[in-house]
Amino acid sequence: MILGDLLDAHVRDDQGRRLGYVVDVRLVLDRPASGLLAVPRVHGLLVSPRTSSSFLGYERRDVRAPALLARWLRRRHRGTFLVLWPDVERLGDDEVVLRTGYRRWSPVLDA
Amino acid sequence: MKRRVPLSSRPFPADEQLPAPPRPAGRVLDARLHLLDRQVHDVDETPVVVVDDLEVRGTDGDEHPTGAQEAVVTALLSGPVLGTRVFGGRPPATRWHRIAWSDVTEVGVVVRLGVRGDALDVTWTERWVRDHVVGRIPGGRHDPG
Repeated sequence: MILGDLLDAHVRDDQGRRLGYVVDVRLVLDRPASGLLAVPRVHGLLVSPRTSSSFLGYERRDVRAPALLARWLRRRHRGTFLVLWPDVERLGDDEVVLRTGYRRWSPVLDA
Repeated sequence: MKRRVPLSSRPFPADEQLPAPPRPAGRVLDARLHLLDRQVHDVDETPVVVVDDLEVRGTDGDEHPTGAQEAVVTALLSGPVLGTRVFGGRPPATRWHRIAWSDVTEVGVVVRLGVRGDALDVTWTERWVRDHVVGRIPGGRHDPG
């Protein structure tokens, strides 16, 4: 699988309700290294109600400047959440379906 | 293409305070924020390529892992993505060049490799142009100094 296939895919719950779009994939470097650096494991997906402008990451970090831009982008992406990889039931064509009882977590990076 | 889901149509409130996720043991990276489009430098600090995408596999080698199995990043990918980013779709698998994750030594402002860029498939066009075009120009095979 290519990670780009996941980005911007629709996210639905098990009842088919639209939850948003995959705006990023959270990785954790915690698997045994095959070289010098630990291997990144897919930890979860970041789901936002919008596809655009999340690449700046304001909704995921404690960056407050420039104030107007930060406030505007944080507002645009309010409702963004992290869903952990084990909660992913199925990956379809431009679609991610979450399993019943999936949990939403804060998207903040240092939370 | 810009798309959005109206907040009112989602089955939960937009301003809900969510709990912090379980803290994993290793360093946390967001792929788009920390890896994609980063420049890749080889062991001699020579810029080699940029990270256009990442190859993800199940730990059992499955090419299409789901949440039922662990998935890991196995390689950085580089390819002709300009057109597909503008018009959609993705380049065919044969056009991607892989750099195995085992060659990566550091992820920071740039992604650093522990190998020389000359040894990578991704730089074959540069080598071809050097050998077949630049090398045939008089004086093209030595340092101009």
